[in-house]
Amino acid sequence: MASRVKFENSCEVGVFARLTNAYCLVPAGASEGFYSVLEGELAGAVTVVRTSVAGTRIVGRLCVGNKRGLLLPHTATDQEIQHLRNSLPDEVVVKCVDERLSALGNCIACNDHVALTHPDLDKETEEVISDVLGVEVFRQTIAGNILVGSYCTFTNKGGLVHPQTSVEDLDELSTLLQVPMVAGTVNRGSEVVSAGMAVNDWTAFCGSDTTATEVSVVESVFRLRDPRPGALGSDVKNSMVQDFFTS
Amino acid sequence: MRLENCWFCSSTIYPGHGIQFVRNDAKIFRFCRSKCHKNFKMKRNPRKVKWTKAYRQLHGKDMTQDATFEFERKRNRPERYDRNLTEQTLKAIPLIIKIRHDGLEKHISNRHKPGKRKEIQKDSKEVAQDIGMLPKKLISNELANPEKTKIKVKVVQQQTEDYAMEE
Repeated sequence: MASRVKFENSCEVGVFARLTNAYCLVPAGASEGFYSVLEGELAGAVTVVRTSVAGTRIVGRLCVGNKRGLLLPHTATDQEIQHLRNSLPDEVVVKCVDERLSALGNCIACNDHVALTHPDLDKETEEVISDVLGVEVFRQTIAGNILVGSYCTFTNKGGLVHPQTSVEDLDELSTLLQVPMVAGTVNRGSEVVSAGMAVNDWTAFCGSDTTATEVSVVESVFRLRDPRPGALGSDVKNSMVQDFFTS
Repeated sequence: MRLENCWFCSSTIYPGHGIQFVRNDAKIFRFCRSKCHKNFKMKRNPRKVKWTKAYRQLHGKDMTQDATFEFERKRNRPERYDRNLTEQTLKAIPLIIKIRHDGLEKHISNRHKPGKRKEIQKDSKEVAQDIGMLPKKLISNELANPEKTKIKVKVVQQQTEDYAMEE
């Protein structure tokens, strides 16, 4: 079920939140409205941790992880690392990565099995990713952009990429990642799909500017809809009605 | 807050001191004071500048391998907070510092020992051979002058009294 949400008047939810199947990292100090939407959807299934990374609120773009681990940049302070280690479940391995490209969320996109990385990432970082996150690592570009973590987001069920990705690239990515991929936009045509939304295997949070069509695309590719046969039409109708009321 | 080490001289940088320089390849250089910063800007290699820790360790002046250095290694994997562990670590820190400092002093005094021994040998050889070079006045030991002791003789007083009485 894809929800629309705003973080402090910004629709770029993926910048501020890092959502995985085991935990969710959000920055502290925002209005309770944002937190209530998140916690309402995620309930007890996922630990929601309020933190900062390297003293900033852009936690979604600086760190990356899946249900097995979390990678932080070397700029993260000792107190933040300790706080994360204390708050996250023991199965999640927290590790700091010494890497020139410190915005890991922009450089790495991953799910529980595969990771796509920036082509210029260090060899040691690649090894750390495969070690801590337990994934297979591929160096790729998306539609000619090296920041794979910003222009592509995928979970175990499906993936969304930059709208200008060619059909051949899309097919290649689908076979590499073993999940269906779709080229689309979020937040009224924003190409930076990963920064505009936070998604895991059963929920997605898009920015409030996301149109009903975009939400329906997200819901269909990430398999977030109810698997009932008649549900397809009713969901589209619901999102359209919602759009009328919000616009 | 974290206590870093100066890139040039390796001393600790306390909060509120020094300058950090971030290069274009995202490497961070921290300096404890302008002396180190200016030396860096002059492109001096700390391994060649005598007063830095890098030079001293490279040239064997300070100890390089010790068990106490293992404690300060940077670990990238944090551990869950445990109050007992934290308490014990805080108690252990001054002890470890003391042990390291004593080890360092011992290393330096051991380094000086053969030199001191040589110096003492040289000095005793010089005293044995060249003591005659000094002016006689200054020489006040048994080697140069044999000891002249004063011998006390008892004068018999009775004889003088006899002479007086005879007259």
